[in-house]
Amino acid sequence: MTYVIAIVLGVFFGFSLNKAGLTKYHKVVNQFRLTDMAVLKFMMTALVVTMLGLYPLRAMGLIVFPTVPATYIVGNLLGGLIFGVGMSLTGT
Amino acid sequence: MTWLVKQIRKEEWSPYAAGALLGIVGILTVVLAHALLGASGGFENVAAYIGKLINPGNTYFNYVMPAAITYPVVLLVGVFFGGMLGALSSGTFKVRTMDNEQWKQAYGKQTWKRWLVLFLGGVVVEYAAGIAGGCTSGLAISGGMLLAPAAFLFIAGMFASGIVTARVVYGKKF
Repeated sequence: MTYVIAIVLGVFFGFSLNKAGLTKYHKVVNQFRLTDMAVLKFMMTALVVTMLGLYPLRAMGLIVFPTVPATYIVGNLLGGLIFGVGMSLTGT
Repeated sequence: MTWLVKQIRKEEWSPYAAGALLGIVGILTVVLAHALLGASGGFENVAAYIGKLINPGNTYFNYVMPAAITYPVVLLVGVFFGGMLGALSSGTFKVRTMDNEQWKQAYGKQTWKRWLVLFLGGVVVEYAAGIAGGCTSGLAISGGMLLAPAAFLFIAGMFASGIVTARVVYGKKF
């Protein structure tokens, strides 16, 4: 059952990425060239919509948040810095 | 109804519409699976099978990212078919060699070069995701929605180096 849920969630995840055009090299790299803001608009909209759903649900006591990704300043930042290079080169 | 079908069949949605859909998926992931969306973790779980062959005692592949068909791995299978469904719905589905017009202008038109950069870039991306504890989806979006400081540090780093890299690749055409 867990696997069925994961598959279905994955399908919608992939579908939204495809429709946002994030499967295309130029979409991703043009975000870094600052000529096309689609990636940032997509990411930030997703963030805001999810927050609008999750925080009221938690306030009502209906859900408990999963483990929050760990913060370790140097690792997060260094990882991000290396990640950006690969993302910008490949456009993925 | 026909309006809705027409919207779904569009090749490219407004990033706000696609982002809202991902946002709803993000909510459902927490509610239904008590988990977060992510992409890089699944690859690491699969890579752990090979990693353990080479180095059976490896801490990372035994405890941090164990070799198993975990929830992120199954999610990735869904992502594959979801992306395919998206392309089919707009009639743009085809088997291709990852060609891209803008790529050819920047790097040249050889396919092998595209694949080489993709492979090496993929190694860099996955390695970095391992250090940071997630990728664009698993850390930046999933962590960001839970207001984890890690997510915002990661986004800052990603954009800083991404912009510099694009500047180097594109030079004057930036």
